[in-house]
Amino acid sequence: MATVAERTNVWAKEVLLNGCQAVAQGVKLANVDVIAAYPIRPYTEVMDALSKLIADGEFDSEYIVADSEHSQFEIVKHASSVGARAFGGSSGTGWMYGFEALVVTATDRLPPLFVVGNRALDDPGAFGVEHNDALALRDMGWLLCWASTAQEALEHVLIGYRIAEDSRVLMPMALAMDGAFLTHSQHMIKVPTQEAVNKFLPPFNLGKRVLHPDNPVSIAPQVNEDWVMELRRQNWEAARRARQVIPEVYKSFNDLFGPRYANPFFDEFMCEDAEVVLVGLGAVKMPAQTAVRRMREQGKKVGYVNLRWFRPFPTEQLRETLGRMKGVGVIDRNFAHGSPDNGGIVVQDIRSALYPLTKRPVVTDFIGGLGGRDMSIQDCIRMLEITFDAASGKQGDELVTWIGLRE
Amino acid sequence: MIKRVEVNYRGVFQKNLGKYIGGDIVQIASRMGKVAFSNGRYSDAPERNGIPCKYFAFVSPDLSEEELEAECGAKLDIDEADVSVVVDDAMVKGVEPWGWHGVRAINEKVREKGCLLVTSQHSHDQLLKFIPKRPFSWRLATVDSPASLAGLWVYKDDLTREHVLGAIAAADPGIISIEAVEAYLLEKTKEKHRAEAARAAYDATLRTIRVVKPNEGAEWHHEIPRLPTWKEFESGGVVVPAVPRGFKMGPRGQNRNEQFLRGTTKSQRPVIRFDLCIKCTLCWYDCPDECFDPTDDGLFDVNYEACVGCHKCADVCPVPECIVMVDELKFDSDASPWEHHKKDPEGYIKWAEEKKGLERLHFPHVTGLGREIRQGKYVPPKQDKSGAGAAPKA
Repeated sequence: MATVAERTNVWAKEVLLNGCQAVAQGVKLANVDVIAAYPIRPYTEVMDALSKLIADGEFDSEYIVADSEHSQFEIVKHASSVGARAFGGSSGTGWMYGFEALVVTATDRLPPLFVVGNRALDDPGAFGVEHNDALALRDMGWLLCWASTAQEALEHVLIGYRIAEDSRVLMPMALAMDGAFLTHSQHMIKVPTQEAVNKFLPPFNLGKRVLHPDNPVSIAPQVNEDWVMELRRQNWEAARRARQVIPEVYKSFNDLFGPRYANPFFDEFMCEDAEVVLVGLGAVKMPAQTAVRRMREQGKKVGYVNLRWFRPFPTEQLRETLGRMKGVGVIDRNFAHGSPDNGGIVVQDIRSALYPLTKRPVVTDFIGGLGGRDMSIQDCIRMLEITFDAASGKQGDELVTWIGLRE
Repeated sequence: MIKRVEVNYRGVFQKNLGKYIGGDIVQIASRMGKVAFSNGRYSDAPERNGIPCKYFAFVSPDLSEEELEAECGAKLDIDEADVSVVVDDAMVKGVEPWGWHGVRAINEKVREKGCLLVTSQHSHDQLLKFIPKRPFSWRLATVDSPASLAGLWVYKDDLTREHVLGAIAAADPGIISIEAVEAYLLEKTKEKHRAEAARAAYDATLRTIRVVKPNEGAEWHHEIPRLPTWKEFESGGVVVPAVPRGFKMGPRGQNRNEQFLRGTTKSQRPVIRFDLCIKCTLCWYDCPDECFDPTDDGLFDVNYEACVGCHKCADVCPVPECIVMVDELKFDSDASPWEHHKKDPEGYIKWAEEKKGLERLHFPHVTGLGREIRQGKYVPPKQDKSGAGAAPKA
C-alpha cells in the first residue's frame, strides 16, 4: 500500500474541466490507441476535447470520425479486436442507432470503453438527461456503471479499462454520466500523473485472440443454435468473475490514489443506522445527500445509496444494505413503459434482489428528472417523506410516484 | 452562503466569452479558498446565431462542494442572481432563449441590491428606458465597451473578459476580489495589461455604479406563458400550429411561425429607405426568417418582431443606403416602418436618417474579428417619376 507521502505525488494538477473534458483527460491518461467519434449532444464535447488534445500535440492517438454511430461503434469494436485500447461514446438515440454493434462487441468479448452522456430518447430533439439510453444495455453482456461527479468520471475511465481488460472479464464497459449536470458543469478536477496511471493500468493484452497478420484468426464466425447457449453461459461467467474483479481493482485504486471508494459497487451515505433510504444513479446524489443531511438534522434516520454499478448488479451487497431498512425509495431517472406497476427500470432489479429475503423493506419507486427536468433538494426531501409513509403503510396503493410532473 | 453570477450572452458570437467568464470565476474563487463551479443553462442552444443564452458561476465561502452542487447544479436555471452580466446591451430589451418560453426581462433574476452589469456605450438612463422596474432597489453598472462579438468557435480577445471580471469584483467583492482577479490574470497570462484592464474596469465600476430605486424603469408587457399539464395537450408529442400557405399583401401579411418569433436575437435591425427601393425583391427573397411583407405598392415592409438582425437583407440590397443595419437600442417600437413611410414620407426619411447616422457597423463574416465601423453617407430623397417608390399619391 502506498504511503500518504507517495500518494501526494499521484496527482499532477488541479484544473478547471467540465465532465466531458474530464473524461477526455482520462482517455489521454489511459493512453487509448484508437478513438472513433460521431457527434451527438451531450457526448459531443468529449470528442471535441479529445480532438483538441490531439491537435495540440498533448496526446497521440488514432482519431477517426465516423459517418454514423453504427460505423463509429463498429470501428471501436474492430480496433479492440486487433488489441488496441479503443474508446467511443454517444448519447440518446445515437446510442440506440449503434446498438447492433454494441451487442456484438459484448458477445465477441472485446473490452473497449464507451462513455454515455445520458440523454432522453428524443421526444422531438430532447437532449436533457434520462437514463433509458444506457440502461438499454442492461441485458447485453456489458459492464455498466454511473459516475456521479466529473472527478469520478475521469477516474472511472481508468478503473473501467482496468476491469474490462482483465483477462478474467473481457467485457465492454459503458461509463454513463448525466447529460448537463455532469457533462457540462465546470469544476476544479484533480488530474492524476501519467506515472501513477501507468502503475494502475497495465497495457491492454488481448492474448491469443488478437487479430493480426502474424496471428491469423477468424473472429465471430457464424453461430446458431449449436453455439449460442454456451456463448451466453460464458458471458454470464465473465460477469460473475467481474463481481470479484471489481473490488480488487477498486482496492488497487484506493491503495494508489487514497481511500476514495469505500464500497466499489455503491456509496452508502448515512446508512449505518438508517431506517429509510433513497437509491439513485448519477448526479442526483448531490441533492439527495443534502436532503438526507437536512432530515438528519431533524432527527430522521434517513440515508442515501448512490448505486454506481448496475451491471453486474451488486445483488448480495444490496441485499445486505437495503435488507436492513424499513423502507427503500428508488429514484428512477428513466421510465419502463408497461413494466410491473408502471415504474422505472432500476426498481425492478432492486425489488427482485430483495424478494428472496425473509424480512424485506417496503420498496417504493419515483419517476423523476426525465428529459433533464431538475430534481431539487426539496424533491428529494419529499421522496424521503413518501418513503417513510410507505414504510409505515400509509402510502395507499400507489407504488410509483411521479416527481415534478405538471399535473 | 452562495453567490450566484449569470452571464447573458449571445449564441455563437459570445459562446466562448460566456463560458470563459464562468470558468474564470471558478478558478479565481478557488484561489481565494472558496468552493465554486460553473455551468451553462443546458436548454439553451449556444450554437445558434445570436440567440440569448446563459452561463452561470456559483461561489461559496462555507459550503461543501456537494452542498453547493445540490443547491445550484441540480437546477436548470437560477432563482436569483447576485450579479447578472449582460455582454450585449441589446439584450436589455428582453431575452427569449431557444429552449425557454416567452420573452424574459433581462433583470428577471437580479435580487434585491444585486447588480445588473452591462457592457454598453449607452448611458444608464438610456438602458433604463428598456429595463423593467422591480419592486425593490437594485444596482446598474456598465462596462464602457461595445458588445464583444466573434464568429463561430472564435473568441474575440478584446479585454471584455478582463473588464467584466474586474467589474464583477467591484459589484460584489463577496464573489471575487479584485486582487485575486489581478493575481489570476497575471499568473495565467503573464500579461500585465490584462490585470490592468480588470483594475481599470473595477475602478470605473466603483465610480459609476448606480442604485436603481424601487419601481424605477420601464413597464414590462411580455407575459410568461403557462405550460400545460400532461392532461391538457394532444397525444402524439408536442404539436403546434405550423405556418399556413400563402400570405396577404401588406404589413404583417406573411404567414410566419408565431410560436417563436426570435426578435430578441438581434443586436441590430435593418432600417429601410423605401424611397430608394428599386423593387428588386432580394430582401424578401433572401430573408431566412420571412420577415419581409410584400405591399400592394411593390415595396417590402419588415416585421421587427420576427427579424433576428442577421444582416442578410442589407447584404443583398443592391442600392447604397437603402437597407442599413442600426443599433437595436435606438428603437423603442416594432411598429411597421412601411406604414410610417406611407403616412409621412418626408418625416419617415428624416426619422430613418436620424436613426442611421453616418456610422455603419460591420461584422465581417467568418473572420471572427468582430465589428468594425465604416462611414456611410446621406442620400437625398429619390424623385421617382412613377411615384411608386417614393411619396404616396395624394
